[in-house]
Amino acid sequence: MGIIIAVISGKGGVGKTTTTANIGLGIALNEKKCVVVDFDIGQRNLDMILGLENRVVYDMVQVMDEEVGLKQALIKSKMSPNLFFLAASQTKDKSVLNSKKILKLVTTLSEEFEFVILDAPAGIETGYEHTIEFADRAIVVVNPEVSSIRDADRAIGILDSKSQRVKDGGEVLKYLIINRIDAKMVQSGEMLSSEDILDILSIPLLGKIPEDRGIIDASNQGKPIILDKNSGAGRAYTRIAARLCGEQVAMEDIEMPESGLMHKIKEMFK
Amino acid sequence: MFSFFKKQGSAKTAKDRLTIAIMSDRQNGSAFPFMEQMKAEIIEVVKKYMGVKAIEIKKEVDGDVEALSIDVQLETNA
Repeated sequence: MGIIIAVISGKGGVGKTTTTANIGLGIALNEKKCVVVDFDIGQRNLDMILGLENRVVYDMVQVMDEEVGLKQALIKSKMSPNLFFLAASQTKDKSVLNSKKILKLVTTLSEEFEFVILDAPAGIETGYEHTIEFADRAIVVVNPEVSSIRDADRAIGILDSKSQRVKDGGEVLKYLIINRIDAKMVQSGEMLSSEDILDILSIPLLGKIPEDRGIIDASNQGKPIILDKNSGAGRAYTRIAARLCGEQVAMEDIEMPESGLMHKIKEMFK
Repeated sequence: MFSFFKKQGSAKTAKDRLTIAIMSDRQNGSAFPFMEQMKAEIIEVVKKYMGVKAIEIKKEVDGDVEALSIDVQLETNA
């Protein structure tokens, strides 16, 4: 049985879908069979980030309603033979989700894939509760910014009360990804540090991702930034994917601005 | 170059405000493990007499007074 991981956030717009795409591809590049499922019904976006929007024929709602088979709806990525994608429905709304159908879908997927990654709607939206219901673990994405962190805490609270695992007396392990860190602002005390955020949310850290202008370019092209080895965010996602695959990768200190003489000289001419 | 003389950043303020806001969110939230069970039972009881559409239970903390507020929404045509 594979592992089911929900990627969640409190509010929208923190980079949840970007994170799902990059982690999914990263895991697949580690030679693990991985499927990413877009649960953000009515707001299909993961297909764009993965560059697969032209290949979507069937969606996960049609699979859940048994209108089409799973095999027909799964889209294989060209970037890795180990990565598959199941699209959200664009025409329906989040009220179509129901527990029984979701359980069946994720169970079937976990029989075939080592990793089943669910891109959840934001925690304050309907549909969120259903997405996290059968997850084994959750990855919480936040930005170093007050509203994102506060809402994340609420989303974690909902997870802990609605999860089937918790109802069964178990626990859903939660990991934190801090996205869009600006090293300079952290150093000058204008932005919450990862330490501050961990103090407040008290869940283990999975990774820190620097603010990266390349993210826009990556989404413009539909090529997840993890493919760009020169990008700070791409390298951060590579480390996170390795950690999820069980490797011990040291936490890189991306909260210190780049140092070195060349960098200082460059800065002087900015 | 003169960053040493810049005024102190607002990260500290953010952390303090967040800590308090989240503490109060957690207190006010439906943080009882038995909440769902209790909700179901209350619905059962009220249902015996009238139609129930939804039920909302909240723990409210105001200073040192703690209260449980139960809001039962009835079916309109019941």
